[in-house]
Amino acid sequence: MSSGRCVFLMGVEQALEYRVSFFLSMLSAVFPIIIQTTMWNYLYRHSDAAAVFGYQQGEILLYTLLATIVSQLVGAGFEGEINSDIKMGGLNKYLIRPMDYKGYRFFRFLGQKVPRVMVIAPVMAVMIGAAFWQGLPVSAGRVLAFLCSLVLALFLNFSIFYCIGLLAFWLTDVDKLFGTISIVLTVVSGGVFPLDIFGGLVEKLVNLLPFGYTTQFPVNIINGRFGWGRVGAGFAFQIGWILVFACLGEAMWRRGIRRYAAVGG
Amino acid sequence: MIAVEHLRKEFTYYKKMTGIKGSLHNIFHRESLTKEAVRDISFTVERGEMIGFLGPNGAGKTTTLKMLSGILYPTAGKIDVDGFIPWERKNEFKRRISIVMGQKNQLWWDLPASDSFYLNKCIFGIDDGTYRDIVTEFSELLDVKELLNVQVRRLSLGERMKMEILAALLHRPDILFLDEPTIGLDILSQKKIREFLKIYNEQWKTTVIITSHYMADIEALCDRTVIINQGQLVYDGKLGNINQLLGKRKLLSLKTSASVDTDVWKQFGLVREVSAVGAVLEVPQDKVKESLAAILSGLPVEDFTVTEIPIEESIARFYQKEVVMP
Repeated sequence: MSSGRCVFLMGVEQALEYRVSFFLSMLSAVFPIIIQTTMWNYLYRHSDAAAVFGYQQGEILLYTLLATIVSQLVGAGFEGEINSDIKMGGLNKYLIRPMDYKGYRFFRFLGQKVPRVMVIAPVMAVMIGAAFWQGLPVSAGRVLAFLCSLVLALFLNFSIFYCIGLLAFWLTDVDKLFGTISIVLTVVSGGVFPLDIFGGLVEKLVNLLPFGYTTQFPVNIINGRFGWGRVGAGFAFQIGWILVFACLGEAMWRRGIRRYAAVGG
Repeated sequence: MIAVEHLRKEFTYYKKMTGIKGSLHNIFHRESLTKEAVRDISFTVERGEMIGFLGPNGAGKTTTLKMLSGILYPTAGKIDVDGFIPWERKNEFKRRISIVMGQKNQLWWDLPASDSFYLNKCIFGIDDGTYRDIVTEFSELLDVKELLNVQVRRLSLGERMKMEILAALLHRPDILFLDEPTIGLDILSQKKIREFLKIYNEQWKTTVIITSHYMADIEALCDRTVIINQGQLVYDGKLGNINQLLGKRKLLSLKTSASVDTDVWKQFGLVREVSAVGAVLEVPQDKVKESLAAILSGLPVEDFTVTEIPIEESIARFYQKEVVMP
């Protein structure tokens, strides 16, 4: 068995090891959904227009639900582990073995996602089915494009958070910083509400920056908001940003590890 | 096998002032300080040799081992480990070495040790048969066979250390670095690990460098000892020869039937202990006979023994820099 596959299976096993923590983290996704649904319902009830910020009430609810689920799917959460590996010398065990730390992190990340995917996938399928039944024009092509964009979003989010984790080489106390970064990135990736409600400049910026491609972009494929032209452009951006962050991660690792080896693990 | 030449390692760190005022000051101005962890160490190790690496806390033992295993870059000097420069971290080099750190965990905390072993199997590409044989043999020798499927965090310190050693040996490294493998363990676990390492070294002819604060480890395992203090090499030779170096002295323990005054004892040697029923004297080796004869003829001695000065004591003198290797 290759070491990648072995790390992957260990990741699955480890995610299942902490069942309570797993279910609580799933449950924690429910509360924002309730809060947001209540908030949007209130907003629409007290607004005369049928569409607020260019979204119908049903559309915004669907967006919120899907975005929350997509953030759960692509969410990283290993940056703290990278930090403690660097700070506590845990990195040593990777340095003395013929294995690649980034590869280890990646396969472990995928492995730990598996139980989550198994819970989320049926929920999402039901949700999309319901939306289709309500009249959303979901085609097989869109579902396929959505799934592809999810996979790329997973790669992208991994690459971004890998770089964020490696900041620990240079910064002494990054744990709190990670919390802040994670919240900010959830918002700017459209994980809380669609960023195009701001229109104009913000929307343009979101389309250029990498973050929207981790959450908002997949959601906009499945909810039919993006035409095929924009979907194609979005894929190009996703792949481009993955490459950028992969290179950045490599450069950071090479410099960081030199520093680590100079100051001691 | 291993050649270390004029090895040096300096660490730079920043002075941190105490209190809020100090912290504010530190934001704008940080004074950097340099610590020399290792200064000019040279030694060689032959293939299959097992050497003890001794020194007080902070002497630079762990730093040296980290440089030998490629975790740290040295500030200056050369290391050759079986033809490799460790900090280049070539995969071929990594396959030949292993390091166990008594104070660091290399196993996956939440999973049974067998899972970590299996990961090592995959990483090092060990074939199924060899893997099974090694795990069976070593876990029996170390007495942990029943614990392979218990989560690592549920194991005792001794059990975990045995697992760490097992994990480190799966790929049959040619060179093994052990950094305080018996630290904090009970006597039985220490003994078990010592016995295992002895068997392993004899069987596989592995080159081993071991650091420990327990002299029993070194006495049982190592012919040769290297002592470093404050980053410098202060002794390199047989452990048994250390006493010779310190002036060939013996301890005379005497039991008397009546109390003898300290001043009387002082005539025969350096008085280490005095009680109502005896004394312990330190006497040069060539004067033992003479002193003993005089004591026995003049004092009410009931019983006596002549012993070597404990090795710990000799080593402590090296640590205190009272002696330096000639």
